[in-house]
Amino acid sequence: MFGKLMIGTTALLLLAAQARAETIDDKVAVCAGCHGADGKPVDKTIPTIWGQQAGYLYIQLRDFKRGDRKSEIMQPIATQFERDDMLAIAEYFSQKPWPDLGQPRAPKDVTAKAVSASASVGCPACHLDRFQGDGTVPRLAGMGRDYLAKTIADFRTRARGNNPGMSDLMLATSPDDLAALVDYLAGL
Amino acid sequence: MHVKGLAAFAAAVGVGLLSGAAIAQEVKQEKQSVLGNANVPPVTQEQLNAADKNSKDFLLTNGNYAQTRFYPGKQISRDNVKNLHVAWIFQTDVKESLETSPIVVDGVMYVTTSFSHVYALDAKTGQQLWHYAHKMGPITVYCCGPNNRGVQVLGDRVYLATLDSKLMALNAKTGEVVWTTNIADPELGYSETMAPTVVKDKVLIGTNGGEYGIRGFVRAYDAKTGKQLWNFNTIPENSVGVWATKDATGRDMHRNIQAEKDMLAKIGDPYAKLGGGVWQNPSVDLATNRIYFVVGNPSPDLDGSNRPGDNLYTNSLVSLDLDTGKYVCHFQYIAHDVWDLDAVSPTVLVDVKDKGGKTIPGVIHAGKTGHINVHDRKDCSLIRFSEAMVPQENMWVLPTKEGARMLPGANGGVEWSPIATDPGQSLAYAINLHQPMTYHVESSAYPNGKLWLGGAFKVIPSEKQSGNITAVNYNTGKITWQVQTPEPMIGGILATAGGLVFTGEGNGKFAAYNSSNGKELWSFRAGAGVNAPPSSYMVGGKQYVVVGAGGNTQLDYKRGNNIIAFTLD
Repeated sequence: MFGKLMIGTTALLLLAAQARAETIDDKVAVCAGCHGADGKPVDKTIPTIWGQQAGYLYIQLRDFKRGDRKSEIMQPIATQFERDDMLAIAEYFSQKPWPDLGQPRAPKDVTAKAVSASASVGCPACHLDRFQGDGTVPRLAGMGRDYLAKTIADFRTRARGNNPGMSDLMLATSPDDLAALVDYLAGL
Repeated sequence: MHVKGLAAFAAAVGVGLLSGAAIAQEVKQEKQSVLGNANVPPVTQEQLNAADKNSKDFLLTNGNYAQTRFYPGKQISRDNVKNLHVAWIFQTDVKESLETSPIVVDGVMYVTTSFSHVYALDAKTGQQLWHYAHKMGPITVYCCGPNNRGVQVLGDRVYLATLDSKLMALNAKTGEVVWTTNIADPELGYSETMAPTVVKDKVLIGTNGGEYGIRGFVRAYDAKTGKQLWNFNTIPENSVGVWATKDATGRDMHRNIQAEKDMLAKIGDPYAKLGGGVWQNPSVDLATNRIYFVVGNPSPDLDGSNRPGDNLYTNSLVSLDLDTGKYVCHFQYIAHDVWDLDAVSPTVLVDVKDKGGKTIPGVIHAGKTGHINVHDRKDCSLIRFSEAMVPQENMWVLPTKEGARMLPGANGGVEWSPIATDPGQSLAYAINLHQPMTYHVESSAYPNGKLWLGGAFKVIPSEKQSGNITAVNYNTGKITWQVQTPEPMIGGILATAGGLVFTGEGNGKFAAYNSSNGKELWSFRAGAGVNAPPSSYMVGGKQYVVVGAGGNTQLDYKRGNNIIAFTLD
């Protein structure tokens, strides 16, 4: 009886440990389908999450679950997670290396236009030097060009509704300047 | 103890591992805190009370409880400052915006960096004695750089407030954590960048978050235990006020009072998400047991449509009783602000002439609109405001969707930069920005702790920007002298009994000026933005001037990581 109990307990402990071990894998396995098994998104309008700031990733998962950020794909996925799961997933991806998407540097005139537009509304005040981001503010340097363009467009229409401050800043910036910023940021 | 042993000790006690995600790339990701030994005697309350007469130490962020930033030593003078040279350079591990005010206690210097690191240094040699690298939580929310402006020592503890909104006491000798208290939830937009002010066993602290719909506060915590002693909400439950239509200088602010009253009837008092951060140190009047501080902008910054009323006590000078945190008096500069032209630069207590020419205890504040405001300390009333230190145009045009041009721009005037004073000359020294901007308004609902600007303020790229250093006679309100600088100025300034003022620029220039006429007497190129307030102290019979050169996030001035001390031969 004692032996059986021991074996049973051990098995349970192993299962529990395995379940815990699998949990994070289960949770992140689904991500690779779109965000890429090697960190390079499979579609150009999908963001890079490898190497992204943990605080930012957490807030996005939280907002998908709350419905503050809309996505038919992300919302059902995020809904399964509790706060601790989200923090763990965010930390997991933040520790991965940022992938090189091989996007070209912006030409000089585009860079000058982008830097001037950025200084005008003060992008580096939050996204920091060289657009590396920090905490809940995302890295933009080297982000996919099409995703940047789509996100800025969505901020302007407020289709991306979980950061009205960003919408305000994008609305105050001309489409011309924003196009330059997209090329500049993608090429950093 | 050798460094290896120290690192092992740090690991063993489990403190100070750097957070990989939360810290800029320049920081060594795996580096541990290095705890060591700063042979420093305990700092007594009596020493702190007499900081204004002490030329050996620099004990408080702004020099003393009155925050005069007037250093009483005069070994470095107008005559010999030309011989000033680098004594040592200390390079921190963090290459980001550097706004620290170095403090010095008996030959030991405490400096901080972005991301809430603290270093204890030998003030004579620059040698590192210990390094506390804060383990940052994953959630940090801040608008204008991961700054930290310094620490204060009382007894054998160093008090620090962190970007992830914690208040901490460290062992002044070793850097070990003594206690930690959570101040507020960073997920709702709260963060800390200011140095605490510690007085009478109370640690006074405010909060950032005026761009995130917080409800601001000033609090006192027990210096021994970290337990909260009192809380003052900078936004009272009745925030409506008197429906002021004019600013402190008498200019019409073009408020639509009827529309505001209609909105008030519809939504009620908007106090709960109204902002009102306090992120610069209060001054302490030891004689009356009162503190004086300024409260920042309402949330959202540019959209006043959903926050009817004067939005008390935003954009105000406020005084409280030190022991209880009870309200004493206030004076609001701009009611219902929609330009982010709020009150930030720390208050200074000096004797001033009242309107009848009588000398009375005063409190002065340099505002973002470019005036130095002089108040009666008894009831906070405004005695006078100075001539404008920067161009003012089109005030107060209301923000529009397309953008309305107005001067000054939203950074000032005088930003957070502390001013200095020279009571012997009745002069206040301020550094200013001139940044032509357009003000844009957009409306959106409270976004759960996210950036909530209610529009944008945009630098006009085609217009020239500049800065200046201005000396104002606070008994007359007249500008005594002004030095133009090529770029907007942010950081701080120090006046000394040697007849000098020291300040730095975003282009890396750090200079000394004759405090009576503004003549430049010495300068140095630091190689990165000098955007931090200088300090001065004596060690081994020699006077030093020290300043951080690490650039600035808000104005995107070149980053660096240097603490530079200067002395004479």
